[in-house]
Amino acid sequence: MQNLGSAREGARQWWMQRMTAVALIPLTLWLAASLLRHVADDYATLIAWLRTPLAAVLMVLLLMALCYHMALGLKVIIEDYVHLDRLQIAALTLIDLLSVALAVVGIFASLRVALSA
Amino acid sequence: MPAATSPRPALDWLKHLLEETVTLIRSSEQQPRVTLLRRFPVPRNFALPGNARIQHGRTWRAPPGAKRVKRFEIYRYDPDSGENPRIDTFEVDVGSCGPMVLDVLIKIKSEIDSTLTFRRSCREGICGSCAMNIDGSNWLACTRTIAGTAEPSTIYPLNHLPIIKDLVPDLTHLYAQYALIEPWLKTRGPVPERERLQSPAEADRLNGKDGKGPAACILCFCCTAGCPSHWWNGQRFLGPAALLQAWRWLADTRDEAAGERLDALEDPFRLYRCHTILNCTRTCPKGLNPGQAIGAIKQKIAQRRS
Repeated sequence: MQNLGSAREGARQWWMQRMTAVALIPLTLWLAASLLRHVADDYATLIAWLRTPLAAVLMVLLLMALCYHMALGLKVIIEDYVHLDRLQIAALTLIDLLSVALAVVGIFASLRVALSA
Repeated sequence: MPAATSPRPALDWLKHLLEETVTLIRSSEQQPRVTLLRRFPVPRNFALPGNARIQHGRTWRAPPGAKRVKRFEIYRYDPDSGENPRIDTFEVDVGSCGPMVLDVLIKIKSEIDSTLTFRRSCREGICGSCAMNIDGSNWLACTRTIAGTAEPSTIYPLNHLPIIKDLVPDLTHLYAQYALIEPWLKTRGPVPERERLQSPAEADRLNGKDGKGPAACILCFCCTAGCPSHWWNGQRFLGPAALLQAWRWLADTRDEAAGERLDALEDPFRLYRCHTILNCTRTCPKGLNPGQAIGAIKQKIAQRRS
């Protein structure tokens, strides 16, 4: 029952899951509204929109919050439902690596569009 | 209902709307507005190991001359027989029976099948012995009326526990989890000459103004047995019953060990495996709110970190 004792953590993940959730409400609404506004526009107009400072900053924030929130949520699902030790560790590792990779790729792409001459 | 005299009618209206749409369960007395499915849509024996699969058992017909016959489908398991668990159907004359589900069980045991095994003691909802799964939700057999059950009514032992016999689950692990939160007063200072006094307000934190505070828990484990997080991670997650009691000692103004209690709880599994599903609050036969108590523990931990 005592197992390995208390990990003395978990509060940070719990807090960050809620923080990112709160941040994602306006950010997702903003993205949805922006994409709807540009739905009929051509590629050049969309790029021009993403090059505005506000859109670029919000896009980077959105990607950071989204990937962090996704990693935390997916890990909870794996911990809850996958009880084969090796599979669980493999899945948790994969989630960590892929979500960081996804965030870096997304942020790099946004910055490249926003900052290239 | 939003009062016309309220100084902030708009806020009241918004609160009312929120409560109507996103009903936050605060007590088992709240009846669900809509119930989509009576049970989760998977076959009854889905993914169960061979020896746990439930078979059809026998049917005990009502005696001739019975006035009001009601059917009860009851889970039976006898480890000595080496057979799988089965569902027996009992036709009971509820016209000659007390008003509660426990009365039916006692009538079956004394008049129909004396091998039916279940725990019971006080028959008035204070000992917590007769907790079982009645019509798909955990409740005390002695406080659930026959009139309030379905036709046929299904009676199973508490969910996801090893079964000793029939309706008797093995609670050893749940008692061990209760022991882990160290449910006793811990103090540092010198022992006082007389009782450690509390103000009425301080006592209310334990008993609740309405008598539904954490100290009113009878440890029937209806909540823990009904918690999906505890089903999937019961070896590590403490479950609502133990956590409600952990809060009972954290909320006690006489206790001086809050820090070490929080240390022992702060763990991704012991405490944070609660995903506020709130089955605990929905099923508590005493109308308590373990979900809120767990939230209060999380708040305390957040408080000492910032």
